[in-house]
Amino acid sequence: MAYTQPHSRVSVLSTSSQSSSVEHLSPAASSTRFSLPSIPTTPGVLTQRPAGVRPNIYDRNLNKTRITEVSGAAFTFLFSEIVQYTQKRVSGINDLERRLNTLGYRIGSRVLELMAWRAEAASKAPKREIRFLPALMSIHTQVWRAVFGKPADAIEKSVENADEYMIVDNDPLVERYISVPKDMSQLSCSSFTAGIVEAVLDGLGFPARVTAHNTPLPQFPSRTTILIKLEKSVLEREEIFKG
Amino acid sequence: MSHHLFLLSPSDTPLYSLTHHSSKPVANVSSPLSSNLPNWSTSAFAGTLTALSGASSSAHQTSSGAVRMGGGQDRHVIQMIANASLDVIEDLMKSQSTMFLKSVDKFNEWTVSAFITPGNMKFVLLHEGKNDDGIKAFFTDVWELYVKTMLNPFHTAHTPIRSTVFDARVRASAKKYL
Repeated sequence: MAYTQPHSRVSVLSTSSQSSSVEHLSPAASSTRFSLPSIPTTPGVLTQRPAGVRPNIYDRNLNKTRITEVSGAAFTFLFSEIVQYTQKRVSGINDLERRLNTLGYRIGSRVLELMAWRAEAASKAPKREIRFLPALMSIHTQVWRAVFGKPADAIEKSVENADEYMIVDNDPLVERYISVPKDMSQLSCSSFTAGIVEAVLDGLGFPARVTAHNTPLPQFPSRTTILIKLEKSVLEREEIFKG
Repeated sequence: MSHHLFLLSPSDTPLYSLTHHSSKPVANVSSPLSSNLPNWSTSAFAGTLTALSGASSSAHQTSSGAVRMGGGQDRHVIQMIANASLDVIEDLMKSQSTMFLKSVDKFNEWTVSAFITPGNMKFVLLHEGKNDDGIKAFFTDVWELYVKTMLNPFHTAHTPIRSTVFDARVRASAKKYL
């Protein structure tokens, strides 16, 4: 019975009365956004499953993406809570960035597998990226598109250091509604994104240290650079491929 | 004939293993060495090999009657073969971009095929016959199941997979393709 009222899970926002909370959040579209897709909403689906059997991830189709997209507002709310939660438990900005990076890493490793599965599972000979530059390109376009819905804005290669690459996002989604206080100006909440990038690179076999830095421009105040510092072994491997 | 599947984490910890006995007939791939040797020497050779590989498969020879080469049905021998093939796999996965690496290694009657996911998980399968298409379809199924396991927030790349549903699905797929 609980499933017939998808609003009950959002009603924590106003616990006073169920009906008013439904009205308050009423737009019909929001209920489909907030409800978990695995929850049966039509009676037809309910009857297919014997009572007492919980829905199972293994029964789900991994290619259904359209109805399972998360609204930007919901994500922003969740991310703001993540930052607050993390900030209460750390001693400094470095620590905070490191924790955000770790959280992003957990997402990145999943994004990588899922994205590759969606792209390759149907093909005759599924492929992995084994060269660094194509891998970096696919992070710039495909990973960004899978996670943020748009490709990143630029890839740059460091002039001074051969092992440093940068991905630039002019308006990162995770920071769109975040204004960092003056006394914490070093902090970049895109460390979360850096974690995602680090996980993808790690998974593909290009271990690297990935950090996020604010590089504002007059027209893009929240412009962020994701700095990738590759480990030596990656460069050596690339040299072998060139030879 | 039987198949042995191992799922290994990026740091080569085994996360899941499966032994599947196929009902399909053995495509007789007799080792050229054993077929050229007279019967008595095969058994003697097998005895030496088993001793060398540390196996104790004397029970095999007495109970089944038919002599097997190398005591290759023992659990620890299977594991040793799978582990030994990792060197070859790691060499190949740096130069080949395909996820499915067929017949990367051979040891006595066992052929080793592997599948590398983009996240660096290794699926290693020991099989006796030649069945490339079936094995590929099987690996693709296991990959899908693994991706679904991975989506569980409580699963990390180093957590052993203990889900009964996962196990049942892998077995069903093995039955279908192997």
